[in-house]
Amino acid sequence: MTGPQGVGIGWRSEIAGFVAELPGLRFVEVVAESLSPGNPLPAGLAGLRERGVTVVPHGVRLSLGGADPVDPARVTHLARVAELVDAPLVSEHIAFVRAGGLEAGHLLPLPRTREAVAAVVANVRRARAELPVPLALEPIAALFDWPDDELDEADFLTEILDATDAELLLDVANVYANARNRGEDPHALLDRLPLDRIAYVHVAGGAEYGGLYHDTHTDPVPTEVLELVGALCAGRRPPALLLERDGHYPPADVLRAELDALATAAGHPVVT
Amino acid sequence: MSPTHPVESAPPPGPVGLAARQAALVAALVAGAPLPAGFATDRVDAARRALLRKRAGEVARHWPLLAAGLGDTWPATFTDWASGRPTVGSLRDGWDLARGLRDRDALPPLGAQELAAREATHRYDGRHPPRRRRLPALARSGDAVALQVAGRVRLLRPARR
Repeated sequence: MTGPQGVGIGWRSEIAGFVAELPGLRFVEVVAESLSPGNPLPAGLAGLRERGVTVVPHGVRLSLGGADPVDPARVTHLARVAELVDAPLVSEHIAFVRAGGLEAGHLLPLPRTREAVAAVVANVRRARAELPVPLALEPIAALFDWPDDELDEADFLTEILDATDAELLLDVANVYANARNRGEDPHALLDRLPLDRIAYVHVAGGAEYGGLYHDTHTDPVPTEVLELVGALCAGRRPPALLLERDGHYPPADVLRAELDALATAAGHPVVT
Repeated sequence: MSPTHPVESAPPPGPVGLAARQAALVAALVAGAPLPAGFATDRVDAARRALLRKRAGEVARHWPLLAAGLGDTWPATFTDWASGRPTVGSLRDGWDLARGLRDRDALPPLGAQELAAREATHRYDGRHPPRRRRLPALARSGDAVALQVAGRVRLLRPARR
């Protein structure tokens, strides 16, 4: 299957009907843990595959940044899902989601230390040994940093990518959120990231609570994030950008307008 | 200062090594453990509250009638219950909450019906994942009574109030 191209959307069962009717759609992402390799694909997703739409499995619970070795059963599941949808690549996060026997229920940031770089790199290698396709890594949005960071966000990411053969899944909304919540310039952070490693891009909405920007995926995409997309695409335009929406789904025309705004900001054809 | 005098101002030694440090942070976020030294308390607290909001949404998807029955009070009811209580998965989180509300007569009728239907189809001991019942079963929750035969559930009596 070809790599992700153009403007895509995160496939969720709640919006399967909407996604099925997007005439120009060439790629979607599906949460890997939501699929069972032993069962047939959900009808909506199977229909997209028949149309030749690229499906990228996106893992959220591998915990690649955990100090412990990644769970082989979770890697196997991701590998089987990749085969099930004939994926050109899979993606996961630079984060941990459990430790000490407790599930955090969310993607948590790593301390930006060399010890953490080594833990991620080791887990990426373990995963890659099992996966039939390349792996793209996504830096997360975090509301806090660890107290003893040795590296800044750009250097931390660059060290991980340089030590692995992983590609970059760049979430522009996460870049915006992290820079803004540190009181820094999102464009300056973007410029320092290893953009030449981008496989595809995430864009999502968020909202401000108590002075902090939260990457909610349940709110509209802010103008500032679309401007950052424009700045990114004014350089070397990434081959694909994907809108993530995970709840509080708006009416179809509003969602269509968000996809159109993303296509316009990126300079890709509209898919609606 | 004499060597035997306790040094009160020194922070307690934090966990050492990535595994221990990650475990301490997760425990602080989801299990009410103290936050390791050095973190910005207000930022971690914002993350903890965002996490509870996210969990509330996920549990509401597994227990739509319970959440609908509680209406505007759902987010606060859930986050009060879940704060300091690590998740055991959205299905069991909602189940445990619904039973807790039932036991103190605070379960709304819609939630009672949803709980009765779940109890009729699955056996759940509160400690292990629920298991599907093979035999027909009758379950009540408050006034609500649900009957399950061959995997199909019928509400015999709705909850009143």
